[in-house]
Amino acid sequence: MIMRLPRLPIRFVAAAVTAVVGITCAGQTASRLPGELAWTIGFDPKTFDPAKVDDQESELVRYLTAGVLLRFNRSTQKVEPQLAEDWSISSSGRTVTFKLRADLEFSDGTRLTAKDAAWSIRRVLLPATGAPVAEEFLSAAGVTVETPDERTVLVHLPRRVIGIGKVFDEIAIEPADRPSEGRLTAGPFVVADYRRSQYVRLRRNPHYSGPDSKEFGLPYATGIRLDILDNHEQEIRLFEHGEYDVIDSLPPDYFSLLKQKAPNTVRDLGPSLNTEQMWFNQAPGAPLPAWEKAWFQNQAFRVAVSRAIHRADLARIAYEGHATPAYSFISPANVAWFDRSLSVPQEDVAAAKAGLAKAGFRLIGGVLTDANGHPVRFSILTNTGNAARFKMATLIQEDLKGIGIQVTVVALDFPALIERMMHTQDYEACLLGLENVDPDPNAMMNVWLSSSPNHQWDPSEKTPATSWEAEIDRAMNMQASSLTDAERKQAVDRVQQIVADQQPFIYLVYPNALIAISPRLKGVQPAVLAPGLVWNVENLRLEGTR
Amino acid sequence: MARGMTMRIPAIRPAAFWSLLALAAIAIGVLALPGRSYSGQDREQLLASASAQHPAGTDALGRDRMVRVSAAFLLSMGGAVMASAAATLAAAGVGTLSAFSPAALGSLAMLACDVFLALPWLFLLMMVRSTLPLTTSPAHSAAITFLILAVVGWPACARAVYRGALELRKSEWMLQARAAGLRDKQIMRHVLPNLTSLLIPQFLICIPAFIIAEANLGALGLGIGEPLPSWGSMLLELDNSPMLMHTAWVYLPIALLILILLLFEGVATKQ
Amino acid sequence: MTCVADMLRWIARTLMIVMMVAVGSTVLVRFAPGYLSDAREMDSRYGNTTRVELAAEAARSASLAQMLSAEFGGWTRGNFGISRQYDVPVLELIAPRLAVTGGLLLRSIAFAWSLALCAALVSSAGRNPSLSWQAPSTLLLAVPTAAMATLCILSDCGGPTLVMTLVVAARDFKFLDRMLRNAWRDPHLLQARAQGLSTLRLVYAHILPSVAPRLLALATLSIVNALSALVPVEVVFSVPGLGQLAWNAAMNRDLPVLLGVTMIMAVAVTFAGMNPDRAGEWQGA
Repeated sequence: MIMRLPRLPIRFVAAAVTAVVGITCAGQTASRLPGELAWTIGFDPKTFDPAKVDDQESELVRYLTAGVLLRFNRSTQKVEPQLAEDWSISSSGRTVTFKLRADLEFSDGTRLTAKDAAWSIRRVLLPATGAPVAEEFLSAAGVTVETPDERTVLVHLPRRVIGIGKVFDEIAIEPADRPSEGRLTAGPFVVADYRRSQYVRLRRNPHYSGPDSKEFGLPYATGIRLDILDNHEQEIRLFEHGEYDVIDSLPPDYFSLLKQKAPNTVRDLGPSLNTEQMWFNQAPGAPLPAWEKAWFQNQAFRVAVSRAIHRADLARIAYEGHATPAYSFISPANVAWFDRSLSVPQEDVAAAKAGLAKAGFRLIGGVLTDANGHPVRFSILTNTGNAARFKMATLIQEDLKGIGIQVTVVALDFPALIERMMHTQDYEACLLGLENVDPDPNAMMNVWLSSSPNHQWDPSEKTPATSWEAEIDRAMNMQASSLTDAERKQAVDRVQQIVADQQPFIYLVYPNALIAISPRLKGVQPAVLAPGLVWNVENLRLEGTR
Repeated sequence: MARGMTMRIPAIRPAAFWSLLALAAIAIGVLALPGRSYSGQDREQLLASASAQHPAGTDALGRDRMVRVSAAFLLSMGGAVMASAAATLAAAGVGTLSAFSPAALGSLAMLACDVFLALPWLFLLMMVRSTLPLTTSPAHSAAITFLILAVVGWPACARAVYRGALELRKSEWMLQARAAGLRDKQIMRHVLPNLTSLLIPQFLICIPAFIIAEANLGALGLGIGEPLPSWGSMLLELDNSPMLMHTAWVYLPIALLILILLLFEGVATKQ
Repeated sequence: MTCVADMLRWIARTLMIVMMVAVGSTVLVRFAPGYLSDAREMDSRYGNTTRVELAAEAARSASLAQMLSAEFGGWTRGNFGISRQYDVPVLELIAPRLAVTGGLLLRSIAFAWSLALCAALVSSAGRNPSLSWQAPSTLLLAVPTAAMATLCILSDCGGPTLVMTLVVAARDFKFLDRMLRNAWRDPHLLQARAQGLSTLRLVYAHILPSVAPRLLALATLSIVNALSALVPVEVVFSVPGLGQLAWNAAMNRDLPVLLGVTMIMAVAVTFAGMNPDRAGEWQGA
């Protein structure tokens, strides 16, 4: 018996499907205003108050909106006057003098004077503000600000600060006693609208006066829309549709994809300043068995692991060729500080095995065993959501199998990972990246000083645990106090050599800076320093607009 | 067309059953082939397409896809089927028992189900991960994951079974059976077969859901750890468009999963 | 009268569930790893301010009783506490998103039910499960929700509602197909058919009424399926809804927001599981 199909429901189904498909197709982004630039930021900015910025998204908004006395040129890597017409540091390095440009105005047309600048600097220095940038003055409490006349600002420091000029790149000048959370600025743009988890919209500041701004009518763009989007598939699709003008830091696989689809939009800028590294937990207080700590504190063990890792494979496979093998914390992109003469433990599996044998490790039935008979096994911890990093961990797992070490790879979400890394120290090895926002190694003080909580392999040491850590401390302090660049370079080279010899961080690769720029966007001068593609935002404009 | 086709196949059930067994045998056979390992990385052949050396190509790290899919089939499918069976049985047990127990007890059980459904289990999983040592072997981690999935996966279905069982309780044949003096035990024997239209789909739906959930738990450091192959992770490659551009073999796991689910469907079908 | 009593009982039950879920969630979130850590601790520039924030949170969450009283205090003030990551009242975050997610859920569940019901009516009329119906529904079960959403984005068609609808419909279809299949086999239906009743008539007069009570049993399952698809769908499509908010809150250990979202989930689940009056039924039996 074969039943006859009821006729009507088929039509029902068809109608239902059509209705569903029809109704559910919807646009995703807010529409673009004429002449407006658009790109994405991953998360909501935590604050619009330029003094309180403590995350990357807020920092970008501050960069785009804030009027600053000095601007650190991301391309030439030199400090340039912005609202200041001229500036100087006294020979003692303890007084900074700024001469403001004439006829400066805020975005509402009110005058900007030295009083506003002084107020803004003092506000940042006040402990009550809790501004992260205050720490860069080293002893914020002792700093005094003077305004001898309407256009002069003097900042007196209790002691010399290396690279003090760059610090003023992070201090927004706001109208005195009227902080506005970016809605009233002296920068190229002002915050116009914010929809949480959707977008931040910035509007052009018609009263903007940077160098050349009056002459050319800068900024060119009428506004900027920053869409809050943490999804590469969407971002790339909308970029292809012309909804976004730039993509900064593309993951390598998406870079290759976009290269196939729109080859004239993508560019590989070569090694970035960032590093990917792996390190062993050397903290004496870590809840690990004593023999494991002994391995991790053993230089020969760390060097052997470093030698057994095929960095070229990591760059070629995990990054699809868009990374450069790394042996030090200074990337070749950092021309001024890169050390060509560094001697590093090159990849060499035989040497790795020999080194381990010399340090008392033996291979028993293919399993590496220490002198006391404990098989060498450890886990590598990494964060979820970074495909390239996870692939690197899996490649390293296979590489270390080659010298008899059994590795497990565990990916955790960031809060759980940070808790293990910084609070409980309950981990064996960790694979993470470090983003460098400043080419000057002085910015890495907190990583290298043994007393720092970010001294990852053994945080917050009371006294340096080893002689080489003590030497790193000395060299880092020396570069921070030396007056000549040559002396500073020598000190930093010394730190690099100690790190290469001791391998507290096993550097793996420098990921390349991968970007995409819409062919419609004119005036881009890509730089490796954040905010990379848009550092000269005043000069960016869409083709066909003024 | 297709309807006509199924009409002419005399017995779906045994055919489906033997096909499933044959697939499992093939998978075991592939794994038993000498010189092949699920973790070996052929770093010169990334995302390669089919060749004599790698009949189904390789993945992004140059590992043989055929071997990995076979191992993942046995591992993930075994785990998911067991977890799914456990969850479905638990749901059937809790659902029917609460429907046939005193009202107060039944309501309490359903209250517990509701609470269970609304709790953010994600954090329990994180806690489980933090109590496990980081060097937990990938196989242990896999077993623990499927166990957790079984534990967390039953309450929604238990609610549906409870509803269904209540309907049965009120049904005429049940009243008649009670009137005829059948004991609870005897009645229960007739209840479960009447709930199969809820339980079998639930069982079948849970299998792919658990396979995918296992891979998602990888984000919390649980799940099947590298280098063991996870079917769920292979399925999740489908939401990575660069991967889809490289080779059509990335669709192999999903095709195989659909085939296997259809075979299960066939096994679970009454003639 | 009984109606009011039922209502009151339902409200009491929901309140009880909400309370238990609130306490349970607080415990789970507080003791999950990473409650007192933040990725910004790694950043040299922001490390110190972040540590200050975390120390304040540590003091605030020192005891569970203190945390709970703070939470319930927030509810009595009507703003559901202050979000940890955004530093604004939770109500302000949830209210606009509730409409977005509610609309999405209602639309997709309604579409899914109609789609699944129509498809199941047709498919179950055949004698055996036919491949042409089982294959697509199995395909939809096997493809991960996030992948389905991504494919939608890539192919530039469909949106969150389509994906949610398909996810829920595929699961509902599996149940409905079997239920209706059993219904078609009922002896009285065979007889009715022998008497020459039209198929349409059969569906409306016999099939639907006979499975109607069982359809209700599927309500919880549908809601739970829809809720679990909500996070991947909203995250991938970047829909500013509760799923996306919940995901961000979980990744930032934002307890007040998580509690708010969990409460809404609890109410949705209890609503779906609203029981026929069990007490009355016992008296009747």
